[in-house]
Amino acid sequence: MFSSLLAEITPAVEHATAAAHQAGAEGGGLVHDLVTKFGIDAKNVGMQLFSFSILAFVLYKFAIKPVLATMEQRNAKIEAGLANAQATAARLAEAQAEIAAQLKAAQINANSVIDEARKTAKELSEREAAASTERTAAQLAKAQQSIELEHKKMLAEARSEIARLVIATTEQVLAKKLTEADRAAYNEAAARELTSV
Amino acid sequence: MVTGKAQIQQLVRQLFKLSLVDGRISSEQVAGILGYVEKHHPVNAVTILTAYQRVIATEVAKGIAVVEHSGPVSAAALASIATSLSARYQRPVITQTKATPALFAGIRVRIGDDLFESSVAGQLAALSASA
Repeated sequence: MFSSLLAEITPAVEHATAAAHQAGAEGGGLVHDLVTKFGIDAKNVGMQLFSFSILAFVLYKFAIKPVLATMEQRNAKIEAGLANAQATAARLAEAQAEIAAQLKAAQINANSVIDEARKTAKELSEREAAASTERTAAQLAKAQQSIELEHKKMLAEARSEIARLVIATTEQVLAKKLTEADRAAYNEAAARELTSV
Repeated sequence: MVTGKAQIQQLVRQLFKLSLVDGRISSEQVAGILGYVEKHHPVNAVTILTAYQRVIATEVAKGIAVVEHSGPVSAAALASIATSLSARYQRPVITQTKATPALFAGIRVRIGDDLFESSVAGQLAALSASA
């Protein structure tokens, strides 16, 4: 870099010197006066240019170059960081997509479980309802059977009670109304019946 | 010595056979048996006599027909009943009358374990049982 700078400056100085000489040659003593008044010496200027070149080389070698290297490293780190960030962002997006897919699958699974639970609950409810209906029908049939039995029993009791009353009434009537003649005739008939057996 | 229950029953059966003459109970035979027991005083005499009395009473009851009746019963009817029962059981049967107003009208004849009935109360009882 220093050599390139020296290469750029040297032709300019030489050109300026040449131009000054040329102007001096052309313009006469004006340029010469200026060089003389300001103490410009080509040798000093060359030395200064040489020392500046050394300074520039040293600066370049020990200051600018490490700084540039450091900057390049930092740039590389920044680029690597950006790349990592991009990769991380990509992984994050991938992870988010995976999570979304897992959530969707979980949602589908949950919906399936919920549907299954609803179906099971519905079946259980229907089974319970059928069993309850069956139990109710059985109880109803049993109650009807019990009612019928109770009805028959009541009818039999009523029939028995009526018969008892009729017989009791008949006995009372017979005890009062049968005369001795009636009894004697009945006894004769009974004796004939018994002897004929 | 007669001590066992089976032996007593066997002795009573033998005494009962000795009491029969022509298939009927003879009072003389029974008196003789009682005299024998009184004289010899066998062991368990009371038990033997009780069992003997029971079989004699049962046999006597077989010849007696108890005629329960409500209202008058003619002697001819009683005689016909006795004749019919004698023919039925192949032994002489006599009748004993017993007034039973609960019959209302009719006759109930009981001989031994058998019962014959033709009465208003019996018919009402049958009607009540069938109701």
